[in-house]
Amino acid sequence: METAKIGAGKHLTQVITKAYMDLHERAANGAFVVWIAINVPAEIFLGFENVVYGVPESHAAMNAAKGVGVTQCAKAEQLGYSMDLCSYARIDIGCVSDHGKDSPSFGLPKPDLIVSNNNNCSLLTKWFDVHHRQMGVPHFLIDVPFCYQPQKEKDREYIVRQFRDLIRVIEQMSGQKFNMDRFCQAVDHSIQGVAHWKKFLEFADRKPSGITAFDSFVHMAPFLIQRGVPAFEEHYRLLVEETEQRVANCVFPVPEEKYRLFWDNIAPWHQLRKMSSRLADLNANIVGATYTSCIGTKEGSFDLYPFDNTDPMHFLARTQNSYICPHGLELRKQAMAGVIRKLKIDGIIFASNRSCKPYSITQMDQQQYFFNQEGIPTVMIEVDHADARKYSEENSFLRIEALLEAIDAKRAA
Amino acid sequence: MDSIKANLLKLRETRKKILGCLPLYPPMEIFHAMDLIPVTLWGLRDMIRTLDESDRHIQNYSCSVARRAAEFILSESGMMLDGIFAYNACDTLRNLPEILSNGLQDAGRPLPMFQIHVPMVPSGQTDAKDYLCNEILSLIRLLEKTFHIPFSSDRFQDSVEKYNEVRNLYRRMEKQVASGKMTFQDFMIAFHSSGFLPVEDQIRFLSGELDRCCNKESKPGNHPIMISGILPPPLPVIQAIEKAGLRIVCNDIASLGRYYGYSPGLNASVEQYFVDFYENHIPCPTLLYSADNRMEYMISVLQKTSAEGVIFVGEKFCEYEYFEFPYLEKRLKDKGVPSVLIEIAVDDEDNIASLKNRIDAFAEVIGQHEGRP
Ligand code: SF4
Ligand code: SF4
Repeated sequence: METAKIGAGKHLTQVITKAYMDLHERAANGAFVVWIAINVPAEIFLGFENVVYGVPESHAAMNAAKGVGVTQCAKAEQLGYSMDLCSYARIDIGCVSDHGKDSPSFGLPKPDLIVSNNNNCSLLTKWFDVHHRQMGVPHFLIDVPFCYQPQKEKDREYIVRQFRDLIRVIEQMSGQKFNMDRFCQAVDHSIQGVAHWKKFLEFADRKPSGITAFDSFVHMAPFLIQRGVPAFEEHYRLLVEETEQRVANCVFPVPEEKYRLFWDNIAPWHQLRKMSSRLADLNANIVGATYTSCIGTKEGSFDLYPFDNTDPMHFLARTQNSYICPHGLELRKQAMAGVIRKLKIDGIIFASNRSCKPYSITQMDQQQYFFNQEGIPTVMIEVDHADARKYSEENSFLRIEALLEAIDAKRAA
Repeated sequence: MDSIKANLLKLRETRKKILGCLPLYPPMEIFHAMDLIPVTLWGLRDMIRTLDESDRHIQNYSCSVARRAAEFILSESGMMLDGIFAYNACDTLRNLPEILSNGLQDAGRPLPMFQIHVPMVPSGQTDAKDYLCNEILSLIRLLEKTFHIPFSSDRFQDSVEKYNEVRNLYRRMEKQVASGKMTFQDFMIAFHSSGFLPVEDQIRFLSGELDRCCNKESKPGNHPIMISGILPPPLPVIQAIEKAGLRIVCNDIASLGRYYGYSPGLNASVEQYFVDFYENHIPCPTLLYSADNRMEYMISVLQKTSAEGVIFVGEKFCEYEYFEFPYLEKRLKDKGVPSVLIEIAVDDEDNIASLKNRIDAFAEVIGQHEGRP
């Protein structure tokens, strides 16, 4: 069953289109352009009057979702980049190689500065190094210590120091002055937007769920490319209102919901529509995902991490380890166990993703834990988040159907 | 390989505590100074033949270095260990400590884990010296608490001297290889034979090997080349390289040249020593801050040794290395240095024939090539 396009869907298209158009336009008009890793605090750039940012990972996801992921990957492979490398990286390198040809947004404008971090993965810094060398653009690397336990104060201080150095570097390079008020305003928009986001995800608490994880994957885009602006806050407010209305009208994505599933890994961008409708035909709904639940949290829990109105720089540093990959197995299990109980999940799909080893490497242990300790049926399927060549729908659904059978068997017992 | 097993048995006989260190560049001198025997868990290719334990925890698209280290720790061999050390060497290795902990817990033999974060920021960007110093001192405190062994600066200086001596011996050996008094194959046999020995025994063993080869006739000739990668290729591949008329005279291998290429100065405090150790380390794609210096470093080594080409030894699934190959190959080409990439996977045994073909083809290119960097 296909999820009907709602007003927020149209708004989403507008927000994304406008974001890319503005980015190109402002860059053409002399704005200082930064390319950033997904979770570099975008609010910092909004603290400057004329600094714009592009997000290669998000742009790569868009390419994959629009069906040109494989085309872009192939270009990078032609240049000698191994097929084993992360498909976001291959898409991005491929896309840059011919100046955005085939990209739905005509690529990203050439950067003046590249800012990576190693919290999700440090190979992202290797990927950004490729551009740094090829384009001769400086590369600022934010080093975020990995967490085995909740983030320590010493690490937070270290991250904050680097944020401040980043501001200094942009001031020097762009000739613009960082404005604390603008920055605080941006942080405020992000915080409000994220609070709405969490409310949106809560529609999965009910049965049948008011949303699917596929809705949340699609609506992540503003979080990735539009944090810190009023449109960001507005989008998620609208999304909550609409979902509320749909639920009130008893419009559910999978009305006969029989199986409530949970997804662990990045969204399968090239399969969103196909996978969601095929699951809906089976009365199965993936109601939540680690990938979207971690937004607005801190490591070890998927609850909203609230801003205490003190130091926004500290607050941003505090959330740097929240995105699954920057923390270890125990914290991952802890957060996932909480949400699985809350959402009354029947089964878990671990999407083993050879393109994203940092996300996948703990999954075998997680799978064992949730099956043995929590008694939840699980399945592991092979999915590459952006390279459709490394995905077999038939193999995956064979396994997913086996998972549904295991859930039935458990119920019968 | 028998020598690894024999050495491991010898280690046990010392009755000292043995610390298994995940690659790549652990602060060995600290552990040694605290009367522990540190062993870096790589170069296990010939010893670890099956990956059953590892396969229960890590997907097969992880690199062989991580899989073999995990197998070593989780299988019977790991029973000789008294603790595990890891730092943020790479995305795979930073996740391993907890996976291993889990596996060891299940096996009923939990081990203490020690971790530090080595700052990866370039020094001109953010000053992270204090951060690293704090990490080093915290590690020492934790080791003291766990093993009830006090740290002493004097002992540390002694350890520094010993490890510097080992690095120095490797460097001297590499020179013998470059001058033709020793084949790279022999160097590798000596290297593997000295692995997993206490540092004192390593010094004795390597010194003996050097004395032996110093008396040999110099046999230069053939085309000198460099190899680059995380681990040296397996012996059959080295044999194929030498048989193809190529002579490995230098290397940019993580477990070899990148490890022994630089020794920090003596008489520094322990924390300053490691600031120096990591900051001035031979460039490695895993030391993110060193990336910009890698090409320059390789060119300087190629020039010094008159190497005429480079064989990149790709560790399958090591994205750190693979992101840099296209750039390095291109830059080398611009300098007139031919290069080739050979990929080594867990099941490399099955691939030797195809690797040989690539090596032979490369040797032909080198034979026809005049250019030097
Ligand atoms: S490997 Fe994973 S975390 Fe890293 S850039 Fe790719 S998708 Fe993101
Ligand atoms: S070979 Fe590469 S991926 Fe594997 S452990 Fe070493 S650095 Fe990590």
